[in-house]
Amino acid sequence: MKIGIPRAFYYHFYPGLWECFFRRLGCEPLVSSRSTQKTLEAAAHRTESENCLPQKLFDGHALSLMESVDALFVPRIHSIVKAHNCCPRFGALLDATRAGIARGMPLVSIDINETAMPLSKTLFRLARQTFGVRRKTAHLAVKEAFSVMHRQLAGEATRQQKNCGQPKLLILGHPYTLHDHFIGEPVISKLKQLQIPLERMTFEDDNIVPGDILWCVFNKMYRKLQRTDTRACAGVIQISTFNCGADSMMTERFRRICRHKGLPYMLLMVDEHTGKTGLDTRLEAFADSLSWRQTEMAK
Amino acid sequence: MTERLAIPNLGNYTVALAAMTRAMGAEPWWSTYTNDHAMALGLAAAPESLCLPFKAHLGHFIEADDAGVENALMVNSIGSCRLNYYREMIAETLKDMGRKIRVFGLGFDGFKPPVIRYFDPPRIFFLRTIAMALEKVWTIDAIELQTAYTRAREVNTGETSLLMEQCLRELSEINTKKAVKQFHKEVYQRFARIAIDKTRNPLRIGLIGEVSLLRDRQLNQNMEQILGHRGVAIKNFFLLGGEIGNNFGFSLGNKKNTARHLARVAKPYLESEVGGHARDSVAHTINCAQAGFDAMVHLCPAGCMPEVSIRPILRKISEDMHIPILQLSFDEHTSILGVVTRVEAFLDILWTRRRKDLRDFGGRRVK
Repeated sequence: MKIGIPRAFYYHFYPGLWECFFRRLGCEPLVSSRSTQKTLEAAAHRTESENCLPQKLFDGHALSLMESVDALFVPRIHSIVKAHNCCPRFGALLDATRAGIARGMPLVSIDINETAMPLSKTLFRLARQTFGVRRKTAHLAVKEAFSVMHRQLAGEATRQQKNCGQPKLLILGHPYTLHDHFIGEPVISKLKQLQIPLERMTFEDDNIVPGDILWCVFNKMYRKLQRTDTRACAGVIQISTFNCGADSMMTERFRRICRHKGLPYMLLMVDEHTGKTGLDTRLEAFADSLSWRQTEMAK
Repeated sequence: MTERLAIPNLGNYTVALAAMTRAMGAEPWWSTYTNDHAMALGLAAAPESLCLPFKAHLGHFIEADDAGVENALMVNSIGSCRLNYYREMIAETLKDMGRKIRVFGLGFDGFKPPVIRYFDPPRIFFLRTIAMALEKVWTIDAIELQTAYTRAREVNTGETSLLMEQCLRELSEINTKKAVKQFHKEVYQRFARIAIDKTRNPLRIGLIGEVSLLRDRQLNQNMEQILGHRGVAIKNFFLLGGEIGNNFGFSLGNKKNTARHLARVAKPYLESEVGGHARDSVAHTINCAQAGFDAMVHLCPAGCMPEVSIRPILRKISEDMHIPILQLSFDEHTSILGVVTRVEAFLDILWTRRRKDLRDFGGRRVK
């Protein structure tokens, strides 16, 4: 059985996990190719016009898989960290996909709700009940999938924390915007081209203190910003996407923290029409002002 | 002089909320809709991509601060919607602007909400006034329902709206529970006195969507009146009386409206909680389709997280159960003319549809 996994939302929350898990169950996982302008254009006619950019990309990815797979994997996500919740969009993701773009397509689904049940147990149940594999196989599949994911996340984290002796630029965003080839990659590759040392936000640490921010991703970003040492951080770039409700709420708060700490902060809003030139200009200007600031401070 | 407390708008129900504020020994600052001036203030101060109700509430509180009101009260929920953070966001924005107004939260802040601790009303007076305010809520429910019925059938257009205003004004001045009860009975008689055309068979349309949009007539461009004056009997699915019952897990007469029942109804299309009133919107659409409603109108602020994400589901229900749904989203640039044009076109289609009797769905037929 061929299972399609859209390279969007949950693919980036749990890197490597889904492919490994489904392969171990004897299925053939197929991950959609990286997002491009084409992905978006394909979705544009079918998706809800008021959706946020990542949701449109998700729809595009799902559409690109429809022809070539037997079933699509779309979970319903309530919380990915215990005692926290996610964007309300994820609660309706499965039902909206079923009623919308993937109409008539068989869907493989689970409820990701860490508050009620850990993901490993949910996956174990999926393997036993939907795929009917033996207890031992299911157990091994879950175990190996998680170890693959943890290795990837840990690798990413150590790569980010490598010290280069210079203050780094912190890039904030959701896992699915930072790692997306349409949203986050252009920003990161441009910064690399400008030879600016940067640190991409990582989300491997699940031991977060429940605070007043219930959205887990934002709670992690918030803690990260609060802990950031102003001497080791040159500035913050927040990648936000058009019509993201959660971002509209939280970026103001992050801006406030940065102002308080004296960190330069830039909000980059990415939408479907983002031209490369505009992005380049803004990043170059920000890089320039950062370097001036550093020379001023060094004096 | 007693301190004043600015309370958020909840349409006509603000009359009852104002009474509750008095129970705490504070003088309420309120209005049943966000006025243009408050809206302009809110738009100038709020981040651009936040939703319309946030801007309206912020503007309302800024206006209150300008008038020298010391305190404000903002609802907060525990769902996954943005509303969760609105109180804090409003408090911080006001603080950044250098304003003195204190913003209290309501509800899930603990057993005794800080706002009650702050004003510390005498217990018996408090309970008695709350009971009176609840009585007002039921009365407003009655006024709303009567208005919706009469407005679609009135002979002289506009009469019902005037009477509704009149009733609310009088209700806001009543101070005892007994008098409110008396007034509740009177409401029915007063509405019965309006001349109606009983032969008329108005279209039946359900209004669903986000609460502020359903209730604040500035935000929804007075949708109820637009529809009512064009001969449509509307059913607005946000009635505070019913809502209070739902939130505390008991039903007030209407068992079909409890959150649990609605969840069961919505299950074939939406299995999980989304936040806001999204699941209720789905359930009400299914219920209305089965009850033979002519159409639904779905109102949401542009970019509303829960309501936008269920739109594909509503469209599917519309196709499966043959109930047309007009999905409107509102932001600060929405003009009443645009809305009226869309609504009129929609109503034309509905009338044509009724004449041709295209409804092959086996629900109750309107005669």
